[in-house]
Formats: sequence, structure tokens, C-alpha cells
Amino acid sequence: MTKRLIHVFAAGCLLVLGASAALAGPADDAIKGRQACMKGNGAMMKVLVPMVKGEKPYDAAAVKAAIDETEKGCADWAKWWGPDTQKGETLKTEAKAEIWSDAKGFEAAGMAYVNAMGALKASTDEASFKAAFGPVGGACKGCHEKFRQAD
Amino acid sequence: MKLLSKRTFSALALLAVLGLGTFWSISAPRPLSASDIPAHTPDAANGKILFNAAGCASCHKPGADQANADASLPSGGAPFKTPIGTFYPPNLTPDPKTGIGTWTDVQFVNAVQRGIGPDGEHLIPAFPYTSYAHMKTEDVLDIRAYLATLPAVEAPEKKAGLPLEVLLRRGVGAWKLAGLDTTQWKDDPTQSASWNRGGYLVNGPGHCNECHTPRNALMLQDDGQKFSGGPHPGGEGKVPSLRNLIGRGKYKDAADLASALANGELMGYENLSSGGMGEVQTNLSKLPEADVAAIAEYITSLK
Repeated sequence: MTKRLIHVFAAGCLLVLGASAALAGPADDAIKGRQACMKGNGAMMKVLVPMVKGEKPYDAAAVKAAIDETEKGCADWAKWWGPDTQKGETLKTEAKAEIWSDAKGFEAAGMAYVNAMGALKASTDEASFKAAFGPVGGACKGCHEKFRQAD
Repeated sequence: MKLLSKRTFSALALLAVLGLGTFWSISAPRPLSASDIPAHTPDAANGKILFNAAGCASCHKPGADQANADASLPSGGAPFKTPIGTFYPPNLTPDPKTGIGTWTDVQFVNAVQRGIGPDGEHLIPAFPYTSYAHMKTEDVLDIRAYLATLPAVEAPEKKAGLPLEVLLRRGVGAWKLAGLDTTQWKDDPTQSASWNRGGYLVNGPGHCNECHTPRNALMLQDDGQKFSGGPHPGGEGKVPSLRNLIGRGKYKDAADLASALANGELMGYENLSSGGMGEVQTNLSKLPEADVAAIAEYITSLK
């Protein structure tokens, strides 16, 4: 009796596993990557913004560590925006259709961020860090305004 | 066999005519007349503040196809998508032919606070006169004075191409009976001056409730759920609730929200860019600090 129950339970587990494997797919993987990268950007902001606001003292090493960490999480960026990733198999996405209909605009918005981050990375002291931070936030805003939908 | 006797038919026809007549009379525009406009010496500097608080530029900006247009001027033409069609908000610069240069003050106030165009036609409430109606008319005249200081741009209005336009506009007239409340903002004496200033800016020029309050099937705002968010009017995603922002952990305190509204993502506040809020935030960043703080004080008091 108990053995039989275990078998039924195991079969049930396999069914559930099989079903979820069939549901998730390549678009979900891309969306997961995108969202993890964005979450990493948010985490970096939590380190940097208090220094920009002057709530915490400027710490060059912490700035560098935060940037390195988020760049690691976004390393596969270019692989995440295929035309088949507009909708996830199971995951929701805030990516707007304009990402694909205005691919050039999306790339330009992304490059604005990459360039701003380059300048931030090259900053060497508190003044140059603060000056370089504005364009990073501006690039986030510029891209989100056009290519990310409301909540 | 006849379906209708002659008599029944005549009675029905009479009813239809009466019905149409009633619809036509209740849906007629009710403009203000020149004597309703208060005597006022306009203050263009105050008008500029209210122009930004009202977010005029977000919709009346030039379209991407107007290559040489100065994007900082409200010369109109950028598309504004709604469920009933795409609008091209018109030119607000003082150009006499294509802008509002020849408009009288009463025409301007009727457009902004009653939703009635210069030819006496009902305007579609994609233009948020439903909120602007709560403004002090003096402030509206100040916006007019500020607009008059801008360089004139020749940019003809693009027509929206609405379905059954004459009937649709009259439909708006009937809708206004329930949808347009023309009471002006009244200060609450139990609250601080800055809370009242914030309440005025949010409910009047700021027209926050146009998106942050859900609507029913008749497109009327559900006042019981004021500021509780809802589907995005553009059709994509949701507009967040503004209620209990601190209790729900969205912002630390009123000062935190004020910083978010003033700085947006320039200070890492990442939820103020998408769905049109980015442009709102850009406009708010141009307001005096005290006004942004007042808006934040009022909004964080919403429970």
C-alpha cells in the first residue's frame, strides 16, 4: 500500500516536472536573463545613489565593485533580444514591442547607457564620479521611457 | 400582415424625434461668457510654473516627423493614442494662423476648463479639462500669458479623423453631464498650506487622477477608488496606486517621494520612467522645490 502510494507520488512528480519543462522555453530563458541583469543594475544603484546624494561617503572601491558585479550579470545582453523573445512562454515581460519595431532606437538607447557607464567607470574621485553619474541615470530613463511598459 | 399600424409608426417616429431632440439639447455645449472671466493682471512667470505642473508640453510637443521643430516648444503634432483614435494635440504657440495667437481669453478658458473649442465644439477629454476645470481661472489666464511669450511656430493642426465625429462630439456633451465637475479646488482648513497647495496641483493642473484613478464602462472616474491605480489608458500595462505609498514600502517618507518626483532615474528611482510617467517627471523636475514637496506631502497622505 505504502509502496504503491510512493509510486503514484513519484509519477505525479514526474508529470509536473514534465509539464513545466514543456511550458518554459527559450523566451523565458532570455527574459530571466534580462530581468536578472536589470535587478543587478538596481542593486548597483542602491550602492551608488547614497554616495551621489551624500548620504554615504564616496568609496572608490565600492563603486568599482558594484559596477563590476552588474556588468557580470549583464554580460550576455546581446543574446536576450531575439525576435522570438517578445513574449515569454510562462514569464511576463515589461519589454515593449518598440524594442523590435524600432531596433535602431533601442540599440542607440543601449549604447547611451554603455557609454555613460564607461565614463562612470573611468571616474577617479568624488567630483568626477558625481558628474559621471547623471548621464547613467539619464540613459536608464531615456531607454525606459520608450521601451519599457508601465508596471 | 402589417407589422406596425400607421398610428404606432407615427407615435414611434415622434418618440425618436423627441429622443434626438432631448439628446441634442442636453448635449449642447455650455460655454462660459466673457463676464464669467475674472478681472486679472496676468503673471507669465506663474503661468510657466503651471504650464509645467499641467504637463502641457508632454502632449503638445512637436511630432518626430517635424524635423526642424524646436522640441521645447508646444507646437503640437506628436501622436497621442487613445482607444477611439489617434489625436494630434494642436499648436499652442502664438502663431495667428495655426496656433492660438488670435484666441480671446474666454475662448482659452472655455477650452481648458470646459472642454469647448474656439468654434463652440466639444473637445474630446483626452485633453484633461476635466481636471483643469478645478483650477483657479486666474492660473489658467497666467498659462495663457506664458504661452503668449513663446516664439510663434507655424505648424498646422493634424486632424484626428474620428469616427462619426459630429455625433461623437455631441456624445461627449452628454458625457460631460456626469463626467465634468466644474467645482474649483477648495482648501481644507484643517490641513497645512503646503498640503493644500499639493492637493491643488495634483487634482487641478497635475491631472494625476486621469491615469491613477480607474474608470468604469462609461469612462467615468470611480471616485470611490480615487488614486488606486488601474489599467494603463494607452492599453499596455497598469498604472500604480498612489494610496498608502509609505505604508506599502514604496517610499520612505514624503521627502523620498519628492526626491523621486524631482530627480527620477537621475537618482536611481526606477519606477518613474515608463508608461508616460517619465515625461511627467521631467515636467515636475522644472517646478520650484516647494511645489514638488507639496505634491509629495499631499500624495503620501492618501490612504
